[in-house]
Amino acid sequence: MEPNEPLHYVAETDELEEGGRLITSIRGREIAVFNRENEYYALANYCVHQGGPACEGRLSGRLTEDERGELVYEDDDEFVCCPWHGWEFNIETGRSLAHPDRYRVPTYETAVRDGKLYVRL
Amino acid sequence: MGENDRTITHIGEVERIVDTDFHLTEQQETILPYLEEPFDKVLNVDSGRVRGQVDGGYLGQLYPSAGHLTPTDTGKAESDDIRTPEDVERGMDLMGVDEAILTPGLNLRLGLVHHDELAAAFATAYNNWLLDAILDADRSFYGAMTVAPQEPAKAAEEIERRAGEKSIVAVQIPGGGVTPPLGRERYFPIYEAAERAGLPVMIHNAATGIVGNYPLQWRGTKRYIDVHVPYHPAEQMWHLTTLLTAGVPVRFPDLTFVMQECGIGWIPYFMRRYDNEYAKKSEDAPLLEKTPSEYLDDQFYFTSQPTEGANDPEYLCAVVRLFNGAQNLLFSSDYPHYDFDYSDTLLKALRPEFTDEEIENVYGRNAADVFAL
Repeated sequence: MEPNEPLHYVAETDELEEGGRLITSIRGREIAVFNRENEYYALANYCVHQGGPACEGRLSGRLTEDERGELVYEDDDEFVCCPWHGWEFNIETGRSLAHPDRYRVPTYETAVRDGKLYVRL
Repeated sequence: MGENDRTITHIGEVERIVDTDFHLTEQQETILPYLEEPFDKVLNVDSGRVRGQVDGGYLGQLYPSAGHLTPTDTGKAESDDIRTPEDVERGMDLMGVDEAILTPGLNLRLGLVHHDELAAAFATAYNNWLLDAILDADRSFYGAMTVAPQEPAKAAEEIERRAGEKSIVAVQIPGGGVTPPLGRERYFPIYEAAERAGLPVMIHNAATGIVGNYPLQWRGTKRYIDVHVPYHPAEQMWHLTTLLTAGVPVRFPDLTFVMQECGIGWIPYFMRRYDNEYAKKSEDAPLLEKTPSEYLDDQFYFTSQPTEGANDPEYLCAVVRLFNGAQNLLFSSDYPHYDFDYSDTLLKALRPEFTDEEIENVYGRNAADVFAL
């Protein structure tokens, strides 16, 4: 994130309800903005795997095991699935669920001013 | 284009892209109306419910499934429905391919249907649907007609029946879970009919459906990945080793085989492993007249998806060289399955070392040759 980059108006905040997303175009790039618990997260809508629309698939959590080996479902709706191959990315960090240190989708700073939602890019 | 030129930098510069494994996604309901007698009367009952299922009945799913949670089944990957010619063209556009060999969806599991005669009837119904609803001689996609390995004589009849169709360019054997393996004598009528018809035989497994037929260890796995990683190539090796040992390429010298969807690294491994063992026990395969791997080089082709190691060109280039891939590898996307390869995936890895000629071979010319396109 470059603090010197300009803010781009995306929408009125009440147009993006909690749990929702919108996809917009900023400076020629497709950007997805998610509202998760009234925090806004912006990611490139481009999958680093094979170029699919990474932010257009379902939101999901992850199935993992607790210390007793029981399956638990955690981090509900923290991941967005690329609909092409099901790669999952954390909407806050852009990092791949399977390979967090190797693959990430670019993320962008969001800002709210006077009920208006902006992305810095 | 000079013999050693290396000018291709982008998939758009490849002259002819033939996708050798592009799936239809027919469902049971899609093909039931195309059943012939006696099964049309048996299963196409009008009960006001799902076709083929009466009140209180359990015939909702006649194709065994393992119940694994795949990315498609959990909705994490959103696979496209490919059930009309327009669907096919949309998918081909998305993949950026010029021509495609259409292969089955649900019928990848046909070899697992327990009712042998019904399995043969499903193959006929699938081919009826394929010819009626999908294929058209004027289009740039072609069909692999499907046969049920459970009934080899009926499969041979089916091949004879469809052989004259211009848009049928291959015989598909759904190899998943087929037992005994495909080298056994009982399947020779299929190979004989395919050879006579001049059609290559394609063998494609189905990890979602191998169920109990595959060796017993399969039942010890409880996650999809444990099935998909080892068993796709392992099952192809199972079929391939028995085909070689039974001398199928010698008995049917004009027949070619296309082994689908099990990655690439195992191919040079298998060739060397079989050659190495054959040197010590050639009496197990008495019909072979050449080094076993030469038969693979001459009569067998391999589709590219899922291309493991595509992000490691050094690995992939070496592996493709090791089985003469410039002549034997056929590009495939596997679209619309969740693990499909986009058309430039393979190119990006091969470009550093492969010439334009070789890339054109892998992307289209080898397929044009195999399928007589």
